[in-house]
Amino acid sequence: MLLALGAVALWLASGLYRVQPDELGVVLRFGAYDYRTQPGLNWHLPWPIESVELPKVTRINRTEIGYRSDPRRQGNADVPAESLMLTGDENIIDINVSIFWKIDNAVDYLFNVRGPDALVKAVAESSLREVIGRTPIQPALTQARAQIETDVMKQTQEIMHRYKAGIEITQVQLQKVDPPAAVVESFRDVQRANTDAERMRNEAESYRNDIVPRARGDAARLIAEAQGEKQAAIALATGEAQRFDSVLKAYQAAKDVTLKRMYIDTMRDIMTHAHTLVVDDRLKGLVPFLPLNAPEPKAAPATTPARPAARPPAQSVLSQPGQPVQPTDNGQ
Amino acid sequence: MSRALIAAIAAVIVLLVVTSASLFTVNQTQQALVTQFGRVVEVVTQPGLHVKTPFVQSVLTFDRRLLTVEQPGQEVILGDQRRLIVDSFAVFRITNPLLYYQAVGTAEGIRGRLNSVVSGSLRRVLGNNKLLDVLSADRDRIMRRIRDEVNSEMHGFGIAVDDVRIRRADLPEENTQAILQRMQSERHRVAAQQRAEGAEASLKIRADAARDRTVLLADARAKADNLRGEGEAQATDIYAKAFNRDPHFFAIWRTLQGYREAFDKGNARLVLTPDNDYLRYLQSQPTPTAP
Repeated sequence: MLLALGAVALWLASGLYRVQPDELGVVLRFGAYDYRTQPGLNWHLPWPIESVELPKVTRINRTEIGYRSDPRRQGNADVPAESLMLTGDENIIDINVSIFWKIDNAVDYLFNVRGPDALVKAVAESSLREVIGRTPIQPALTQARAQIETDVMKQTQEIMHRYKAGIEITQVQLQKVDPPAAVVESFRDVQRANTDAERMRNEAESYRNDIVPRARGDAARLIAEAQGEKQAAIALATGEAQRFDSVLKAYQAAKDVTLKRMYIDTMRDIMTHAHTLVVDDRLKGLVPFLPLNAPEPKAAPATTPARPAARPPAQSVLSQPGQPVQPTDNGQ
Repeated sequence: MSRALIAAIAAVIVLLVVTSASLFTVNQTQQALVTQFGRVVEVVTQPGLHVKTPFVQSVLTFDRRLLTVEQPGQEVILGDQRRLIVDSFAVFRITNPLLYYQAVGTAEGIRGRLNSVVSGSLRRVLGNNKLLDVLSADRDRIMRRIRDEVNSEMHGFGIAVDDVRIRRADLPEENTQAILQRMQSERHRVAAQQRAEGAEASLKIRADAARDRTVLLADARAKADNLRGEGEAQATDIYAKAFNRDPHFFAIWRTLQGYREAFDKGNARLVLTPDNDYLRYLQSQPTPTAP
């Protein structure tokens, strides 16, 4: 009797179970879903009446497409069959994606779909390829990444809802978006070409920045010089005009005397500076013996055609001191 | 006494056996058929505890969940004669276990059947479409079309196909190589173009700079000449104003200045005749009155 009671007690106790904080209890009565229980210690009618399933409803699961992460080693193993796909402009792109998802509805998750984890992967892969299939490679590699993530997430989520899989996609993360390994070098070359072009432009600009300001400087110098010359010409003219003015005033005060004085001053000045030769045109034979080795004076012809005046013969020749001996001097 | 006990125990055992043979559970994920000597007498779609006639009836269970069947890589020829390797999967559920049981019976059976129907439909539908359509937004329409075709063909099998999706659609290996080569040549083209454009921009900037320099200098020269001209004009004006007061005197003054400058250097030579006015006192003695 005691034995029987003990057996019954044990049987009843077998209905005790614990729901972990990240789990949800789903109780089945005779295989049919009955109710849910929250984390903590719970009890259900023992076998064979009730049983419990404990799905981890708060855990974020990760599904990997195109690669497999290996927790033991750093780095991921690439799966080319999954990661290589056709883009909208018939190029091939190498993509790794992580899909993060969690259980949204534990009952649906447990009872509506067989193999929900594998289904997430199949649907996400299909969505990813569909999205990439309408995206050209250049945007896919660069600015369209966020858009791709959003589109894949939206589409995968929509399909999971339609399947009533009880799964919520929390995030889609593009891990790697590259050109295929075989052509990655030529893609890099395009980047280098970009840099090269930029460099050439910069060099040209530095050349421009070098010569144009210099030219501006030169231009400013030319103009400044010309301005200087202009001012100088005006100043010179003003000075001379003033000088003329003063001389003119003196001249007007005493015309004859001033003229005479000026003439005499000038002649004296000239004669003290220039080699002066006084030639009487009556001494015909003398002209060839003029000292022609010295630079021919330009003013000479102006005065040599002397008038055949009936004047007394010249008797003197003036010559500058310090000059070689003149071959003339025989007229007296 | 002991006989009664034995009889009681026997009765309990018999009761247990009969009970266990007449009760059966259908799991939440399942549906069931109750058969009597192979003939289906009841379809059970509700999960839970159910009753059947013991020993004469047996229970067949089928999945009630959404099931997935994958069709691995098959080569299809598209409408534009391109070849494509397509992985697809079909998602279906058993809606009529009786039909299902009668038509195929087993999971293997339905898988083989569905695979051949899906691949046939894929070939037909994709054969009418171009590669770009398959890649692009039309993919959704194509997949719906395949699903509908498969659904109508599998109508008698007691299943409903929810979805047929193209998982991967890749070109065969030799086409892949061709694409990679094309991508490479395209990149080379882009790189060459960018370099050339860089050179173009560089030359243009340099040429512009040289032009700017030439223009700046020419403008400056023009302006300088203009300034000089202005200076000369103003100087002329000043001279003219001053000299016009007595042109006669100016002529004398200027001429004398000119003489002075011409002979100032000391290397000019002046030849005079003795009858020059300045020299007249060399010839005759000055007198107190003017001649």
